[in-house]
Amino acid sequence: MLPPEPKTEVGRDVFNLYLVVLALALIVFVAVEGFILYAVVRYRRKPGDDVLPEQLHGNNTVEIIWTVIPTVIVFILFGASMITLAEVEARSDNPGVTIEVEGFQWQWNFRYPDEGATITGSAADPPVMAVPVGEPVRLVLSSIDVNHAFFVPQFLIKRDLINLGENGRNNELEFTITEAGTYAGQCAEFCGDFHADMTFVVDAMSRADYDAYMAAIVAGEPPPATGGEDCGTTIAVTAVESIQFDTDAIEAPAGEDFCIEFTNNDTSIHDIGIVDTEINGDDIGPGASITYVIPAMEAGDYTFFCTIHPTMTGDLTVTE
Amino acid sequence: MATTTLEPRTVAYRRSWVLDWLTTVDHKKIGVLYIVNSFMFFFAAGILALVIRSELAVPGLQFVDESTYNQAFTMHGTIMLFLFIIPALSGFANYIVPLMLGAPDMAFPRINALSFWLLPLGGGLIFSGYLFGGAAAEGWTGYAPLTSSQYSEGVGTDLWIIGLTLVGVASILGAVNFIATIFKMRAPGMTLFRMPIFVWTVLVTAVLILLATPVLAAGLIALFIDRNYGGSFFDPSVGGNPVLWQHIFWFFGHPEVYIVILPAMGVVSEILPVFSRKPLFGYKAFVFATIAIGLLSWSVWAHHMFTTGSVFLPFFSFMTALIAIPTGIKMFNWLATLWRGKLMLTTPMLFALGFISMFLIGGISGVMLASPPIDFHLQDTYFVVAHLHYVFFGGSVFGVFAATYYWFPKMTGRKLNEPLGKVHFWIHFIGFNLAFFPMHQLGLSGMPRRVADYSPDAGWTILNVASTIGAFMIAVSVIPLLINVVATFINGEPAGNDPWEGNTLEWATTSPPPPYNFDSLPPIHSERPLFFLTHGHGHAAARPEDLEEDPGDDVERRDGLV
Repeated sequence: MLPPEPKTEVGRDVFNLYLVVLALALIVFVAVEGFILYAVVRYRRKPGDDVLPEQLHGNNTVEIIWTVIPTVIVFILFGASMITLAEVEARSDNPGVTIEVEGFQWQWNFRYPDEGATITGSAADPPVMAVPVGEPVRLVLSSIDVNHAFFVPQFLIKRDLINLGENGRNNELEFTITEAGTYAGQCAEFCGDFHADMTFVVDAMSRADYDAYMAAIVAGEPPPATGGEDCGTTIAVTAVESIQFDTDAIEAPAGEDFCIEFTNNDTSIHDIGIVDTEINGDDIGPGASITYVIPAMEAGDYTFFCTIHPTMTGDLTVTE
Repeated sequence: MATTTLEPRTVAYRRSWVLDWLTTVDHKKIGVLYIVNSFMFFFAAGILALVIRSELAVPGLQFVDESTYNQAFTMHGTIMLFLFIIPALSGFANYIVPLMLGAPDMAFPRINALSFWLLPLGGGLIFSGYLFGGAAAEGWTGYAPLTSSQYSEGVGTDLWIIGLTLVGVASILGAVNFIATIFKMRAPGMTLFRMPIFVWTVLVTAVLILLATPVLAAGLIALFIDRNYGGSFFDPSVGGNPVLWQHIFWFFGHPEVYIVILPAMGVVSEILPVFSRKPLFGYKAFVFATIAIGLLSWSVWAHHMFTTGSVFLPFFSFMTALIAIPTGIKMFNWLATLWRGKLMLTTPMLFALGFISMFLIGGISGVMLASPPIDFHLQDTYFVVAHLHYVFFGGSVFGVFAATYYWFPKMTGRKLNEPLGKVHFWIHFIGFNLAFFPMHQLGLSGMPRRVADYSPDAGWTILNVASTIGAFMIAVSVIPLLINVVATFINGEPAGNDPWEGNTLEWATTSPPPPYNFDSLPPIHSERPLFFLTHGHGHAAARPEDLEEDPGDDVERRDGLV
């Protein structure tokens, strides 16, 4: 009955508040359910017992006591909530990065006005929001159509994206991520048919990695692989015209993770999978690129292929 | 000069029973129509729930596509709330309130019939979207601008609007009728503070309906104008505001939650004393708590909107948390009613105990959600789905089943079979918790509501499988109920007038009661006139001053007041 381990500073405050509230909730739960069970066991009518119990109609003293008890709980809860709310709503003067998040049916645009970059997602290729760790990240949330909501469970915060027209004031969200890594997020406000496809990833990295990442994005190059995964060996594979790979043999080391940087220069959707394994990378569209992190494999000869076009294959040799 | 003596006709005119039911203005027959109609919608919306749970059991789309899924949860929510829970409780109120008051009928019998017959019409229109290219698919809350003609072209949404408006009109008419009945039709001696708690909860509910439902109707009409006649109430590109819809909807929608739960609380407050063989502890405190909940319900609507960034959080958070106080008072009074009682665990009592133990969980999770920072994490996740089902299903629906087992003998003259009833209760109770308790954790882990699919990597699969098994258990639990009803009609144990040693006036007449309800009424000196009649004066009054105006010890005396 706990939220995920928080990965933002405000998330920690929310988590701690939740622990207080959960403790109060459990006390009330155990006391009341315990009493109901006790009463059911202790006060059962015995067969043949026709004597009425004492006809108690009420007692003003106990009524006052059990008016005061929930009142005290309510005030504790309210006070603690307001203290945490102030933390959640706090805004820094100078956030490390500001990102304009625009929701549409059914994906996201992440615009970086300072860096001059825009990342647009698709259902097949959800967008990655690169952000620096340890710096305040401010999101300006807007929608071009229906309501959406920006939600990353491990951040423990959420806010709606509402199209309020030209003069509307957009919602903002600010958080400081405490740990590098990738965090899955998705739209939380029902927004029509493909609501469930509105996923995205927040990739939190060091400031240096972030600068390199954004420089690559601005230059239109595939961004360096990050997100805490260590790509010891990186292999470039490109899908070229008429449904084939640019290479028919690649090599990788055994016993350690490696990465495949896959670029799609063909006119149809492709991906990379490895025959007879669970490995099946996300599909990417024409012109897109992606970095697959392949978990450590045993030495041997394998075949990689496009799972959409099974005739599109190549050899993968994993050596000690 | 010849004279002819006209003899009064002693035999009723023969009419077909079908015509009789179709044209009846008898509150008891209308009550039964309400209940039967509600259960048919319950089964339909229950099938939709199974569609939802089947699809969500494991990741991937196995049974339906996204559009069908979205229609299913929209219809499920709309039908369960507007055409099952509210009308089912209205049905019991229709049947029981005039009897409890010692009245011969509702104040406006023909309006009563009209308000019932609008329901199948409205419900039919809402459902008929399936015949015209798809039912409404925007969620039962119908948030703008998703409901605009730009994003929801189909006629299903228009049918949803029209159907809901008719259902709303039915509710308003019913509310007027209850208020008039309760204020003007009480038998002599039945003062306001001698009314059974169920009548009090129906009265407060009727006031809430009368004030809240027109707001929804106005919103629906505005939405219809936006969709069909070029209006722009909710369209920001021409000066409208989509958040306005949320304010309108929840200004109705939160009182609506109490409209759904208060009569069920009333049912439970009748059943617990009868089967504890004690009076309700703190009758007056209970009445004031009910009124307090009714008043507070007007000041909490925007707690559904914390994440919109458009509301003043401290006010709505504080007012929402305040509702825990009168609700807590009720809970403690129920517990004190059990204390040192002599409990009989009949099926209605099991469902009533189920109500207080499950509603408690819904109440606790509601207070948790009243905290804005916690709500920021949990809003629109499965935690909210768990919360609302613990309130509506664990609360109100348990109340509906408790009422069904409790008043079935009065309505039919036969008692439902107890062992079958207990089988129903236990499968239902276990299935309910299996279906909905895991949703708390799903929501905490971040699973959003209203998604047709989820990632296999999210770690949500096991809990979803459990929830789906629970949903099917709930469906199975209905089977013993149906067998029980059929078997009881064929060969049920005769109930007599007062099978439970009841406290209230409905048990003073025959089962089922005659069309005019009472040949004569017992004297009414407390909120438990029947207890008075059975056990004498020594125990009866809620307040000592009621005893002082006691007319005498002739408990057998019947006043013939009607």
